Amino acid sequence: MPMTERVATGGISWAVLAHFVRQDLIDRYAGSVLGGLWSLINPLANILIFTLIFSKVMGAKIEMLGADEFATYSYSIYLVSALLGWNAFLATTTRLTAFFRENAGLIGKVPVSIPWLPLYVLISDTVIYLISMAFFAVFLVAIGFPITWHWLLLPLIFLVQQLLAYGLGFGAGTLAVFIPDVRDLVGIALQFWFWLTPVVYVVTILPEWVQGYYAWNPLYQIVTAYRDVIMHHQLPDGSVLVALGTVALGIAALALWGFRRLERDVRDLI
Amino acid sequence: MIEADGVTKRFKLYEHPADRLKERLLRRPRHQLYTALDGVGFSVASGESLGVIGRNGAGKSSLLKVLLGVSLPDAGRIRVAGRVTGLLELGTGFDADMTGEENIVTNGLLLGMTRKELAAKHDAIAAFSELGHFLREPLRTYSSGMIMRLAFAVAIHADPDTFVVDEALSVGDAPFQQKCMARIRAFQRDGGSLVFVSHDLNAVKMLCDRVLVLEEGRPLYLGAPEEAVNVYNALIAGQETAGLGEPAGLDPYGSGEVVITSAAMRGESANEEVFTSGETVTVAVQITAREAVTGVTLGMVIRDRFGQDIFGTNGYYLGHLLAAEAGETRHCRFRLPLDIAPGSYTLSLALHQGMAHTEQCYHWWDGVLRFDVSGIRGVPFSGVCNLHPVLESAD
Repeated sequence: MPMTERVATGGISWAVLAHFVRQDLIDRYAGSVLGGLWSLINPLANILIFTLIFSKVMGAKIEMLGADEFATYSYSIYLVSALLGWNAFLATTTRLTAFFRENAGLIGKVPVSIPWLPLYVLISDTVIYLISMAFFAVFLVAIGFPITWHWLLLPLIFLVQQLLAYGLGFGAGTLAVFIPDVRDLVGIALQFWFWLTPVVYVVTILPEWVQGYYAWNPLYQIVTAYRDVIMHHQLPDGSVLVALGTVALGIAALALWGFRRLERDVRDLI
Repeated sequence: MIEADGVTKRFKLYEHPADRLKERLLRRPRHQLYTALDGVGFSVASGESLGVIGRNGAGKSSLLKVLLGVSLPDAGRIRVAGRVTGLLELGTGFDADMTGEENIVTNGLLLGMTRKELAAKHDAIAAFSELGHFLREPLRTYSSGMIMRLAFAVAIHADPDTFVVDEALSVGDAPFQQKCMARIRAFQRDGGSLVFVSHDLNAVKMLCDRVLVLEEGRPLYLGAPEEAVNVYNALIAGQETAGLGEPAGLDPYGSGEVVITSAAMRGESANEEVFTSGETVTVAVQITAREAVTGVTLGMVIRDRFGQDIFGTNGYYLGHLLAAEAGETRHCRFRLPLDIAPGSYTLSLALHQGMAHTEQCYHWWDGVLRFDVSGIRGVPFSGVCNLHPVLESAD
């Protein structure tokens, strides 16, 4: 039999990932009455709350954006087209930041490739996003709002966004092993980020000089791209997406490089 | 098959976890280095078994973690052929909120089993674990013994080429431990390599071809089990009294009119600290009187490693009281057959008035001597003492 170097790297099998995704989405809710539905009820409640609170405040501004023939629904469309993406970003980043602590029992006992294991979080957040988007599409079809070929670009925008979430979350998660405060810090930062990104409000309500800075917020670019596709049926700015993708790759590469340097300590500490 | 070569593992100890990052950023050392493993090497061929023994903190757990691949060595290499599974403390990465069934799947997949393999072995795993309907309950409702059973069942059924077991095995009840042992033996017969870490020297002797003795992370001895156990026992004997189950802080005490000044124990052959069960030993005691005393009782008690009294006697019972003038030194000797089971013992001595030391205690000295009994002369026995039985049968 061939001898191999004992290292806990390498990949992870699809069977393992699929199993963890299943556990995450379904088994986790074993015993509860509504089961995996809870994964969807939370975002729905979110949408309901924002719709109830903001539709009156924002409604008028959005009509000017062109979705006027769907006036009663325009705010909901505006909100949901960005919120579902944001929710996935938020969930992935938050969970990866806490990833090492939550999986300490596993990582400390079974040789497993640490950079690959979080893929199951990404996959399960993608599944939730897909299901929510399916509901959203049904809603749009029901009210007669057109769904165009531009939707084919959604996976690309989502990929860039989740790559960014992985890089940031995995990097923060590695740091959190050494400095537990990072987890709380990330939680607060994400709250600020949410309100600094026009998910529930329209960017034009802000003074113009502030709007100029928004271009530097990657999530602003992401939600704008979602809305270009879903609401305005137009292509998002390609150069911006390429730039975002490059930044996301860079951050993910940096996070992985940092982790490789610290892996020995990470494994000893958890 | 598994090979280790010059495996070294150091832990940097920091006051605060954040110091680790500060050190990296500021490039000024902020840690104390603790060497858990220092140049450990061995190779275990197929069908071979290696025992690893050593005192607490000798590096056994660190070695297992490195072998299993959950911890990375700082230097040296570990090479393995095929699948390595094992038990590390309790539960090999179990999820407490998931049921036993689900944990079997998670664990099996992580150990490299395929869905098909798992489906085929499921019943065998369930049967071996003896958990029955508990397999459908979340793991948080399990006792530590039940978790160990599940962990062992999955790990051994994953068809490992190398199986690594530590003290976890001692959690189960006796029948299950025996079942595990039988399964491990079968695994050995089928050509598996075993790395077995234990404090149970008998189990190590029974299961292992070779034994590695670790001391402060260094390989102290690697070779035949018998010799390794002797090396280990010598280590233990040289250890301070702590950890031998004696009440702490019992320094010699007493009123001091007459004191024990030295004591020695010798067997029939050599003057050493290891005797054979059944050997006649002599306990020579030297006492010195500071004042004139009469009717003094010299007492002795042998205690096992748990601090339990195994045997005690004294001059009062034996009808031999002592007297001495002021300044006089006297030599006394107990002679007795050491009909006690193999193990580690301490000998305590006392000088007092009357039957027990409660009346007037001149000198009480706990743990004066420490000795080991190894092996049995004559007919073997089990338990703590030899009652020299005879078995007859009438036609």
